Amino acid sequence: MLRTLLAAGALALSAFPGLAANGERVTVTGEVIDSWCYYSGVMGGPDAVTGSAHHTCALWCAAGGIPVGLLTEEGKIYMVLKWANNDKVADGKTMLSVQSHQLVADGIHYERDGIDYILVEEVSSDEGITLHNHEDYGFVPPFAQPGQ
Amino acid sequence: MKRIALLLAFSALAAPALAQDGEGPYSANSEAKSWSLFGEEKARFEAKVTDALCALTGDCPADCGAGERPMAVIRKDDNKMLLVNKSGAPNFTAANYRLSEFCNQDVEVDGLLVGDPDLTPGIGAKVYQVQLIRAVGSEEWLKTNLYTKQWAERYPEAKGKGPWFKRDPNVKAEIEKNGYFGLGLDADKAWLEENQ
Repeated sequence: MLRTLLAAGALALSAFPGLAANGERVTVTGEVIDSWCYYSGVMGGPDAVTGSAHHTCALWCAAGGIPVGLLTEEGKIYMVLKWANNDKVADGKTMLSVQSHQLVADGIHYERDGIDYILVEEVSSDEGITLHNHEDYGFVPPFAQPGQ
Repeated sequence: MKRIALLLAFSALAAPALAQDGEGPYSANSEAKSWSLFGEEKARFEAKVTDALCALTGDCPADCGAGERPMAVIRKDDNKMLLVNKSGAPNFTAANYRLSEFCNQDVEVDGLLVGDPDLTPGIGAKVYQVQLIRAVGSEEWLKTNLYTKQWAERYPEAKGKGPWFKRDPNVKAEIEKNGYFGLGLDADKAWLEENQ
């Protein structure tokens, strides 16, 4: 029986090695971003897909369940897997009220295969949207403009 | 100033086509469509489907979150975890619903690995856009465009003309409260008056 359980455990760890990983507590300061537009360049370079210019598009993507990231001032991206201990971060609702906000988040950090992840437990400060780049870029994409 | 902004915007929007590199170690036999994205590589491979939180922490619901958790695939060849960032549909949607149908199953996927740290600092690895999926052994590929069907069932009151993301009640509520730029309704009004 014990041998069977051990074998089953080894098999599970083989399938999901991350099960053995330990997270580390972090405090991260950064902007909540839409990770797809940032990674892919589909809407333009990184400066155009953050802040107020890209806010409506970021709402659309979060509503569509696309993973949200936390972009630090040092340029590191933490992909958000929990928000205030809610694990349904891709439900199309949870992340909308903080999209594009500059904030300080406390949580648990994991890294696997080159991607950083964060399980946010608490937002200790929220400054709202501080990057007012719509003054340079307008609406990104242009059809985010009302009436388009 | 506006001209500079327009130029910057144009160059930024044009940049993806310049950044395309196309081929990678998993590109053979891929039938994925190019989107001309940063660091794009076509990639078809076998993998196990999971949700990302499960893979990292062991918190594993049997349904992988039923479409409401970010999803990942663990590539069979090298046990590498790839975060699935996007569906194959050009409409601001993820592939979480379609992938959750294959929770804990061995599948074959076809799509694009995306991301280039030279163009977007802070990226440590590419993410995956899954365009097609099928169970290992199945001959039938499925598209990953399930989101809008799920969305329509969830929000029947939002039925109407135009794309789903402009009718989404949660997005509309956020915009009604904080505006299209997220800075308040006055900021929208000021910009529109100056630029229309």
